[in-house]
Amino acid sequence: MYTIIAGCGRVGSELAKLLVTEGHNVVVIDKNPKSFDRLGGMFNGVTLVGNSFDIELLKSAGIEKADAFCALTNGDNTNLVTAQVAKKVFKVPKVITRIYDPSRAHTYKSLGLDVLSGTLLFASMLRDKIKESKLTSYLIESPEMGVLEIPVNSRIANKKIKEINIPGKLIIATVLKRNLPDERNIVIPDPDTAVEEGDALMGVVKTAFLSEIRKTLGL
Amino acid sequence: MVEKDPEVCEQIAKSLDILVVQGDGSDAHVLDDAGLTRADVVAAVTGDDEDNLIICQLAKEKFNVSRTVARINDPRNERIFTELGVDVPVDATGVIAKIIEEEVSFSDLVTLMSFRRGKLAIVRIDLPEDSPIINQRVQDVALPPDSVLVSIIRGDEVIVPKGTTVLKAMDDIVALTLVENEKQLLQSLIGKS
Repeated sequence: MYTIIAGCGRVGSELAKLLVTEGHNVVVIDKNPKSFDRLGGMFNGVTLVGNSFDIELLKSAGIEKADAFCALTNGDNTNLVTAQVAKKVFKVPKVITRIYDPSRAHTYKSLGLDVLSGTLLFASMLRDKIKESKLTSYLIESPEMGVLEIPVNSRIANKKIKEINIPGKLIIATVLKRNLPDERNIVIPDPDTAVEEGDALMGVVKTAFLSEIRKTLGL
Repeated sequence: MVEKDPEVCEQIAKSLDILVVQGDGSDAHVLDDAGLTRADVVAAVTGDDEDNLIICQLAKEKFNVSRTVARINDPRNERIFTELGVDVPVDATGVIAKIIEEEVSFSDLVTLMSFRRGKLAIVRIDLPEDSPIINQRVQDVALPPDSVLVSIIRGDEVIVPKGTTVLKAMDDIVALTLVENEKQLLQSLIGKS
């Protein structure tokens, strides 16, 4: 994979190192040449100094043959402009943009950019850790949905999946069988799969119904 | 008016009778406070091209503003402004460079106004006594393509030129022309470029 990374901050430099280690071609662009110090001495990718949405600079970075582009500078607007240049002018197949401001992230997501808001992601992750045990809502990037880990207790043991699902509120997507060897441990259930005490279920939930769901399942 | 610097905001509010909103113009909430939903035109004129671009995009996409005007600071970014949907990108550096160029070059042609992003211009040319078209009729003057004579200023008189109007020395000619044909126009009116 030929990847161009705009912005050699902490995230940009870490990503560059990861990809290079996996054998990918990486070009990193940053306004400030000192930022490339973060890449360390072992980095064997290409570094370019300049404005990340400068068309000529992007051409010399080989953007016309790039498979992926990540806009990771510390400026939201710079990232948005850079990503749009990569996507619209150069038609890079995969363009990902990091945005700090959640509302701007939301707007540009609806305009079709692949936007990641680290701010929102990290805040939701912390919220999950503080408030909800075993609920993960940040992966789905919507505060309305989450993945809930449900240990199978005596109340739901020996029930079938279709008896545990609550239409419109909870659907069991995965069963982690405790008594099977590792490679067969993860089961994607059908409605008639029965669960046993000691299993764990991964359910997709609407967070608005979380307390109701917990009550029903005896959690 | 949206401005980031609180001090500048205060000064503007004191000296002009307009609504001033303090904040980042590329923040949708700030734009909302400024009443963007009712705006007909948005002009983004900060010193940062990326900010100007995003302001225009937010105005268009989030607030349905129909016309966006943006200042380009780095002329190399002009293409990006057009590609990302800014209606009227204004190359500030280019405009200033052009004015300076005109002022420093000793020229018989003065640009009075330019439009279509600097492609079309109204210019003034003073006919010197040695111009080859003195005493010629307008219809006999070979003008370059896409150039027309708009008026002739003779002393206090303003003449709308017709084919039979005869040109005199010291006439001030006002012409509309494509900027790329300015040199040819000058050539045909005063015999040198």
